Amino acid sequence: MNLQINQHQINETHELQLTGEVDAYTAPKLKAVMIPLTEKEGNVVVVDLSGIDYMDSTGLGIFVGALKSSKANNSSLKLRGMTVRVKRIFEITGLTEVMDIESEVKGEAL
Amino acid sequence: MDIQSCVEVRNEWDIVSARQLGRNMAKELGFGNVDQARITTAISELARNIYLYAGRGKICIEPIDQLGKKGLRIIALDNGPGIREIRKVMEDGYTTSGGLGAGLPGVKRLMDEFSIESTVDVGTEISATKWLR
Amino acid sequence: MTAKDALTERYQDLLSIYLKAKTETTLYKGQQFSRKLLEQQISPEDLVSLHIQVMDELFPNMSDEMRDSFDFLLEAMIGYGFAYREHQSLRDKQQQLESEIEVAASMQQTLLLSDVPQFDELDIGVVSVPAKKMNGDYYNFVKSGNSLSIAVADIIGKGIPAALCMSMIKYAMDSLPDEQMKPHLLLENLNRVVEQNVHSNMFITMFHGVYEPESHKFFYAGAGHEPGFIYNAKEDSFFDLIAKGLVLGVSRTTTYHPYEKEIQIGDMVILLSDGVTECRTSKGFIERDEIVSLIRKYMHLPAQQIVENVFQELDRLQEFELRDDFTLIILKRLV
Repeated sequence: MNLQINQHQINETHELQLTGEVDAYTAPKLKAVMIPLTEKEGNVVVVDLSGIDYMDSTGLGIFVGALKSSKANNSSLKLRGMTVRVKRIFEITGLTEVMDIESEVKGEAL
Repeated sequence: MDIQSCVEVRNEWDIVSARQLGRNMAKELGFGNVDQARITTAISELARNIYLYAGRGKICIEPIDQLGKKGLRIIALDNGPGIREIRKVMEDGYTTSGGLGAGLPGVKRLMDEFSIESTVDVGTEISATKWLR
Repeated sequence: MTAKDALTERYQDLLSIYLKAKTETTLYKGQQFSRKLLEQQISPEDLVSLHIQVMDELFPNMSDEMRDSFDFLLEAMIGYGFAYREHQSLRDKQQQLESEIEVAASMQQTLLLSDVPQFDELDIGVVSVPAKKMNGDYYNFVKSGNSLSIAVADIIGKGIPAALCMSMIKYAMDSLPDEQMKPHLLLENLNRVVEQNVHSNMFITMFHGVYEPESHKFFYAGAGHEPGFIYNAKEDSFFDLIAKGLVLGVSRTTTYHPYEKEIQIGDMVILLSDGVTECRTSKGFIERDEIVSLIRKYMHLPAQQIVENVFQELDRLQEFELRDDFTLIILKRLV
């Protein structure tokens, strides 16, 4: 399966639009794009997951890595547009409690 | 017996000269046609590395005779950038030359003995020996 | 006669027979001969050289052009020889790696082997199958005092990194003092160990529970692990065994919530790894209620037979290609 990453940038806000699957095969590709963005202080990384219908634990690991990296580098990471299936794995793993997920942090400016 | 002949390597034509030198000596020493081809291929690869990465250097060929054991030694010398991670360039699959695709490990396998010394910013010396059977 | 002389002779025989009568039989023999050459690790340029040698003997008056063309062919074959030897060396290296993985996998199996303790009150069944050689799932039973302590963990990723991480968890758990066997405290301790020692995009999900036979209470806590089920015999229904908590390895200060549940006669506690619910079939994912109905189908059997039957059915649904490590554990209260 494939993962497509579309990237837009406005000032320090980087938006990543993902389509496809995030699994052990595509995770390295996502990591290569997302992690460097979180490493720059002040960056706001917004990841739109509405086009993702499957994510496995390796994929989830990339988001954990990005969360740690954004904390260490004073950037911020926001996720939005999760499908039910994807939302469920963020919920089970308790990551919804520690990550900025748009449906739960309504009204916050991008 | 220590008659060393050398060829300066500055351009692609010099690679041919180095090959010619190696082939002549290999023939003289009595190497068969397969070994001749292997020796010249090793020379090609080493000379090509000099040409591509160091810009200039030289290839020396010498006949050797150790207690009746005869052979041929290729020495490739350059004052180029040197190799930072020798272990890495000696790994299969790590291709730099874009030549035959096997680079230095390939040369090592074509020959019987192989040694490499390299210092960053100083240069590289590679020596490879083939014994006459 | 050396092996090489024997090859030369055989090649000469075959070639001269072929040149006299061009039969398919001889060509077939030639093909078989080429297999023999490969077995003896004869490189392409050696074969060309062999051909030249044989042609020289068969046709001493061969024209110079012909003779020279063979020399040219020999030179042109060297590149293939180069590639052939590289392939050989990479294959040797791969075999070496595979046998090392084989050894590591069997070491891991020994490490992972957790004897299922015997309890008069409980019937316990376990199945744990790796998707690849190394298992990233981990389960552990410990009988401490009268209680049964049980852990199920899933290390993200598969293969060797997961297996190495698993060994770390195993030793961290073994070195915790008995009084810390309270599930939520145990998870807090492990979380600190994991957080300090794993790569930033690795994490571990874990469920830990303690069954107290005197009170028939099950104490448990979860770190982002796929929820198991509780079967309530009186109501004849299954419930999700929810134990909320963040996965291990994300934040050093994570705390975990303690949960407890009374277990009645005939009730079951069902624990699993996400390989169980991430099973993919041609029709899509297997939903949790399908797992429940599989368990229901076999629940009249002893616990070990339930888990084995459920695994076999799921394996068959996935056409025997596990995508993820698979662990399923059932505890059934007997008396």
